[in-house]
Amino acid sequence: MTTRRAVLGGLAASAFLPKTGWSQVGEPVALSAAQRPDGALSLVGLDAQGTIVFEIPLSARGHAAAAHPTEAEAVAIARRPGRFAVVLDCAEGRVRTTLEAPDGRHFYGHAAFSRDGKYLFTTENAFEKGEGRVGIWDRSAGFERVGEVSSGGIGPHEIIRLPDGAFAIANGGIRTHPATGRDKLNLETMRANLTVMTPDGEITDQKQLPELHQLNSLRHIAALPDGRIGCGFQWQGDPFEVPALLAVFEKGKGLAFVDMDEPDLRSLNAYIGSVAAIGLDGFIASSPRGGKVMAFGADGSLGKSFSASDVCGVASSAKTQTLVTDGSGQVYVFERQNLARLAQHDRAFDNHLVSLNS
Amino acid sequence: MKRRLAFAFSLLAIPAIADTQAVIDSHILPRHGEFVAATSALASVAENDCTADALKPAFSDAYDAWISISHIQFGPIEEQGLGLAMSFWPDPKDSTGKAIARLTSAKDPIVESADFGEVSAAAQGFTALERLLFDPQPDADYACALTQAVANGLVDKAESINAAWPGFAGLMTEAGNDRFQSEEEVNRALYTALSTGLEFLHDQRLGRPLGTFERPRPRRAEARRSERSLRHIELSLAALEELATTFYSGDLNLTKSAFADARARAAALDDPALAGVADPSKRIRIEALQRTVRDIQNAVNTEIGKPLGITAGFNALDGD
Repeated sequence: MTTRRAVLGGLAASAFLPKTGWSQVGEPVALSAAQRPDGALSLVGLDAQGTIVFEIPLSARGHAAAAHPTEAEAVAIARRPGRFAVVLDCAEGRVRTTLEAPDGRHFYGHAAFSRDGKYLFTTENAFEKGEGRVGIWDRSAGFERVGEVSSGGIGPHEIIRLPDGAFAIANGGIRTHPATGRDKLNLETMRANLTVMTPDGEITDQKQLPELHQLNSLRHIAALPDGRIGCGFQWQGDPFEVPALLAVFEKGKGLAFVDMDEPDLRSLNAYIGSVAAIGLDGFIASSPRGGKVMAFGADGSLGKSFSASDVCGVASSAKTQTLVTDGSGQVYVFERQNLARLAQHDRAFDNHLVSLNS
Repeated sequence: MKRRLAFAFSLLAIPAIADTQAVIDSHILPRHGEFVAATSALASVAENDCTADALKPAFSDAYDAWISISHIQFGPIEEQGLGLAMSFWPDPKDSTGKAIARLTSAKDPIVESADFGEVSAAAQGFTALERLLFDPQPDADYACALTQAVANGLVDKAESINAAWPGFAGLMTEAGNDRFQSEEEVNRALYTALSTGLEFLHDQRLGRPLGTFERPRPRRAEARRSERSLRHIELSLAALEELATTFYSGDLNLTKSAFADARARAAALDDPALAGVADPSKRIRIEALQRTVRDIQNAVNTEIGKPLGITAGFNALDGD
């Protein structure tokens, strides 16, 4: 299986492998793509106080990042339907290499490293057929593309590594084609699912949304230490007919939708932008379109809700405290079921705040 | 250093153009005062005579007063979670009809208790009252009790948000507190009320009944039973124009002319329940009104949003 060329490539690449861990670049706890007031784009690292501890220029708008489990390295993925992802050396503040989607593929905005940090997995669109893919990249070979597997559905968006080393993929169900930008091509037949697969690409669990949720697109997911997965949806139908926007997935039990009364449901404007797992049994979700952060429990119970304009970035945390960011440069801390302001920056923080401690 | 100077200059420049105090004093507070007065009048009529004919004029005045502040969805109404309890619309799942039917068939005594505020928001506001007054009711006595409960509840809600406004207004004028850290955040809140109000007018009050050319949805018009659909459009145009011109004292030529155009088109429609959406010859004029609302949205963005440095949501608009 391993070719001579791959081995040589790996040896050559290892010569400039990083030796710097995250603790040496200012103790960041989370990463976010950002935009400066002059329009310049970057990836920033935030510490627990909400201070920007490093900032690396990006040439295009990023969406989410994948953080290497141990090394001070992050992969910033272009905003959908981008075809580039950049591997950043966060200690040196430079681009280490660039990933280009193969012909006929584009990235969907999210990626995740394997637990040992050796492989990167990217969600992709095989757009001529409209099939979801997970691209596999070998870090030791300078991020060479070494393969791909089916994502288990159409329109995969967020991919996360689960505590046991497997992966969960939010297949949003919506078909798009780069020739028509972000136009949604299959709303009448779309059907989202949550897929769980081993690092080898073997699908071990899959839950399709029920009929009532035919127009609900699963986009963002986050996992607790026990493997339960919080799910955030984006409803494609009449915003006043949303059945639910949050759910919890548990292996063997399927999806349990979070029940909300109509005022809470409407306050989210049919749209969840990001989900994070907090502590042992809680989640928070953000709605930039509703300007809300909402807490919910792994038991499906609804927690408190907070107003925060254009809020989106929420970082998962094994602790009970975490960071939240918005489009006008605000950093909040979510702690003990309360959201408080922490810092203000001259930046617009982009959709996702990626945790470094989970 | 250069940036710091520019920032200082912008702090000096903004208050002269964006006037929070004026919005509070001559837009928000008086309109909330009118809302309290109109709901109180409605409740006292209902106390004496809860028949539909007796109540319709006071209902109309109170509903007018609500629609005229319904674009102010931040502050006390948000903190107290009362928006949907004032008016449950859009309501594609007919939550209002179901909630009223449920209460009526059970003859639920909650209408006589202080806990009426605990019932479904869909049974509490003007949308519920409209059903009670304009749809035949199977149980006249219960309908009367429910009507009185809704009317009294509206007074309680109106008084509650009105009482909280002066305190909240203080947070807006003395920015630098936990709710509003800067004047920019206050401006953003007011601008959002304006732009969201226009969006609701375009997408919901006009967009819902318009549906598509192939499938117009006249039964989706707001308050079609009381034939107030067009009136709500005119009232919200007036309220939003007053907010825009009170808030921003810079050049508003495009905005004012677009508002004037929309007002004229609305006034010429002569179609109170917007039933014309299903008639191609009339529909075209409702579509033209909707396009004019889009013109207002664009003008407001150009003439108010941009000069104040308020960009539409970086994340909210990105959508992914």
